[in-house]
Amino acid sequence: MSTTDHPTPAQYWKIAVVLAVLTAVEVALFYINRELELGALNAVLLITLAILKFVIVVGWYMHLRFEKGLLSRFFTAGFALACGCYLVVLATLGVVVIRGG
Amino acid sequence: MTATAERPATTIFRRPRSTTGLWSWLTTVDHKRIGILYGYAAFFFFVIGGIEALLLRIQLAQANAEFLTAGAYNALFTMHGTTMVFLFIMPASAAFMNYLLPLLIGARDVAFPRLNALSWWIFLFGGIFLYSTFIFGTSVPPVSPDGITGNLAPGGGPGSFNWLADSPDGGWFCYQPNCGPLYSPGTAMDYWALGIQILGLASLVSAINFIVTVFNMRARGMRLLRMPVFAWMTTVVAFLLLFSLPIIAVALFMVAFDRQFGTVFFAATSGGDPILWQHLFWLFGHPEVYILILPAMGIVSEVLPVFSRKPLFGYSAVVFAGAAIAFLGFGVWAHHMFASGITPVAQAAFALATMTIAIPTGIKIFNWMGTLWGGRLRLSTPMLFAIGFLAMFTIGGLSGVTHAVVPSDWQQTDTYYIVAHFHYVLFGGAVFGLFAGMYYWFPKLTGRLMSDRLGKVHFWLQFIGFNLTFAPMHWLGLQGMVRRTWKYAPETGLEPWNLAVTVGAFIIATSIAVFMFNWYRSKRRGALAGMDPWDARTVEWMTPSPTPEHNFSEPPVVTRLDHFWHLKYDEDEEGRPVRRPEADEMLAHLEDVGRHPTTPIHLPNPSYFPLVMAVGIPLVFYGIIYHTSAWGKALIVVGALIMLAALIGWGMEPLEEPHEAHEPEQEGVEEESGHV
Amino acid sequence: MSELATAAHLEGETTGVENRKLGMWVFLSSEFLFFGALITNYLLYSNRAGFSGVYPAEIYDIPFTSVSSFVLLMSSLTMVLAHNALSRHDQNGARTWLFATAALGSVFLGGQVFEFTEFVVNYDMRLSSNPAASAFFVLTGFHGTHVAIGVIMLLSLRGMSRRRGGLSDSHGMNLELVGLYWHFVDIIWIVIFTVVYLLSAPPA
Repeated sequence: MSTTDHPTPAQYWKIAVVLAVLTAVEVALFYINRELELGALNAVLLITLAILKFVIVVGWYMHLRFEKGLLSRFFTAGFALACGCYLVVLATLGVVVIRGG
Repeated sequence: MTATAERPATTIFRRPRSTTGLWSWLTTVDHKRIGILYGYAAFFFFVIGGIEALLLRIQLAQANAEFLTAGAYNALFTMHGTTMVFLFIMPASAAFMNYLLPLLIGARDVAFPRLNALSWWIFLFGGIFLYSTFIFGTSVPPVSPDGITGNLAPGGGPGSFNWLADSPDGGWFCYQPNCGPLYSPGTAMDYWALGIQILGLASLVSAINFIVTVFNMRARGMRLLRMPVFAWMTTVVAFLLLFSLPIIAVALFMVAFDRQFGTVFFAATSGGDPILWQHLFWLFGHPEVYILILPAMGIVSEVLPVFSRKPLFGYSAVVFAGAAIAFLGFGVWAHHMFASGITPVAQAAFALATMTIAIPTGIKIFNWMGTLWGGRLRLSTPMLFAIGFLAMFTIGGLSGVTHAVVPSDWQQTDTYYIVAHFHYVLFGGAVFGLFAGMYYWFPKLTGRLMSDRLGKVHFWLQFIGFNLTFAPMHWLGLQGMVRRTWKYAPETGLEPWNLAVTVGAFIIATSIAVFMFNWYRSKRRGALAGMDPWDARTVEWMTPSPTPEHNFSEPPVVTRLDHFWHLKYDEDEEGRPVRRPEADEMLAHLEDVGRHPTTPIHLPNPSYFPLVMAVGIPLVFYGIIYHTSAWGKALIVVGALIMLAALIGWGMEPLEEPHEAHEPEQEGVEEESGHV
Repeated sequence: MSELATAAHLEGETTGVENRKLGMWVFLSSEFLFFGALITNYLLYSNRAGFSGVYPAEIYDIPFTSVSSFVLLMSSLTMVLAHNALSRHDQNGARTWLFATAALGSVFLGGQVFEFTEFVVNYDMRLSSNPAASAFFVLTGFHGTHVAIGVIMLLSLRGMSRRRGGLSDSHGMNLELVGLYWHFVDIIWIVIFTVVYLLSAPPA
């Protein structure tokens, strides 16, 4: 909770650089996949990158890493419930969730 | 805050000051007043929804009756269901939650008093918006390429009340594509979809408010597992609302966009999937069922121990069973869709999941019976309603398990058996529970007791009328009587039981009239209750009745579950309660301090802006319905500007920081003259 | 703040998280269900074969969307810098970064308007073309609406700060709350960018 734990502006800039690089990798992967047809690997890599970016923004920019555990629990509950319910809906409706590009 | 302090007190941003009269009710942020407003509004809609049900029953009392036209019948059953779910049970539960939650956890108000007022106003305007369909809405027979015209015969066909047909007629579940632009032209279904959207917004705001209140505002020592069960069920319901309302919000937007802006989400002709609607609707709709029943379960869990003079049997089991019901409730939605052609694997999975809900529900029922067991029962009116709840809800719960069995469900789908089931859980369950609460907390609200004799007349009339109405529906359904159909042929042999059902419905109506009379009379001339008329267990009874505006002069410091009871009673060697000798003195002291606080108390100030903000919302939604016309667009702009102005006013309102703006002595004076 | 006042007056069992902040996190957790439903629509319909008209996945302009995604991502940086400046009592810095955030948000919105216009004018993909197109427009449209509300809140904060004697963390609608909302809208776009743009392909 205390502000002393919060990152400094310099750290925020570094985090932004990391996010920018990850985004660049994502876009690059999109084009590589167009040429090489990576299939499921492409999906796995892209989702991993997205999760990484997601976690970085939530953890540092939203300070969730530095907050009480209760907030994480609320936030994770919403996220997990959404993923769980909607995946079941998609499965019931016969959708292959990720077609692997 | 310096800028605020410098502002003259005469600007438009001055906080409203009235404490009595209409203006004070329009600007109130007091959770108790908001609870009362919710309560009266909900009861008003209960009467409207009841009248709709009576009209339906008159039509069905005889075979081939021509009392209502088919169109009027469709509109009435749609509005009956919608009203009872969204405009009666939900706001009636909200009334209890608003009034009681802060009291039960020993707080002075909810976490966000102004947001609380905002919820109430949004709810009220949402209800008015939905019902304005009877004035503005249109519902015309569809002219579709495949020649399907529905059952709205030109001119309405035989029967009367056809003017009612110009209102939503797609059922409270709004199945697609029947409720899409092709098969339900006219604006009535738009009023429905957007009206529910507004009501959902109100509930979402409330849910956030209650969650923060429970987690942040509890009195000292009020650990989570010392909270009364009703506070727990409020928390659970708040989470259900929080996570299920966004789903229906999206689904309703999809319907509204299909109807207004030409999207084709559910248009079968363009490849839209009607089953997607069913998934989204029931993904919300099943948690919604628990949103309706859990508050009543919470009320009953308060009433039974008090009138059995025993602690609640298995407190933590009841609490965790409530939470488990909520959690499982998100995993069973497709049992509403067994007849929609979902795969056998999905059917099996959802059937199993549904049956597991019987476990926590059974835990609760056995715990309530354990509470009664060996207790010194006092069969006062609240207790009768609580026991009525227990018995009727159990019947409804058991018939519910029969729908979890897929082949049996196929037989029952869309028959009166289903109607019987959900009325046993929602009327026999939720409504009986709500009445138990009304009788139980009436003294807290008014300082007077409701007449027990009239209360018992009410109970027995309602109990008999209820069973006469809904029990025969089980066998009507098993004989094949279908739901949502305005006529049946004499040869079916369904007429005698239908007549009995209609008679039962009128007995229920009579019982409600008795209740209204009792309420009206007891409010004026009921026996004075004192602060603790029931010898209760929870801390809300540590305040004088009626509750003073500041709730607690000295917030309780809670040491254990049923804190108030243990202040009054000790136990002898055999565990029997023995009243402490100092109990009466303590009560007198509490009453005295409760009425005359010794320390200054700062309460949240009234505000105009919740009302202003809420006014903007229906204007925007009316505008959306008529967005093709210039005045429709104008309404959207005007509504949005009002909301923006309210947002800024809300943010700019002088906040009267107690520690900066006032000396403590002045506050005390203000408190004496202003609030008490 | 009346909300604060009632909390402060009752020393009680609390989470230790300020009311409004807890409320905002609770609200954001429910927003997952909101956007989840919209993404579900898109995944369902973008994978259904046989619709008439263009599928969104056939006409995405990935370089363009990558740039606008980058812009939104960087607006999270400026947002967090604004909050950091405020916590160091640097009012001017906070105002500048706040304005930069609103500006980047507006650029993103402009990009979305441009993208929608392209799709309608050049490819004749409209709301009513097919369910996949409906799902695409409504999903990204609702996200854009969230961004627009964020921009309005940022600008209102700036506007109100002048009359309230500066930005501060103690007001009802304060920089930290708007910041949380803003970052959340950003993470939703991180998901949309990957799932809707990079990973989706027209059905075979």
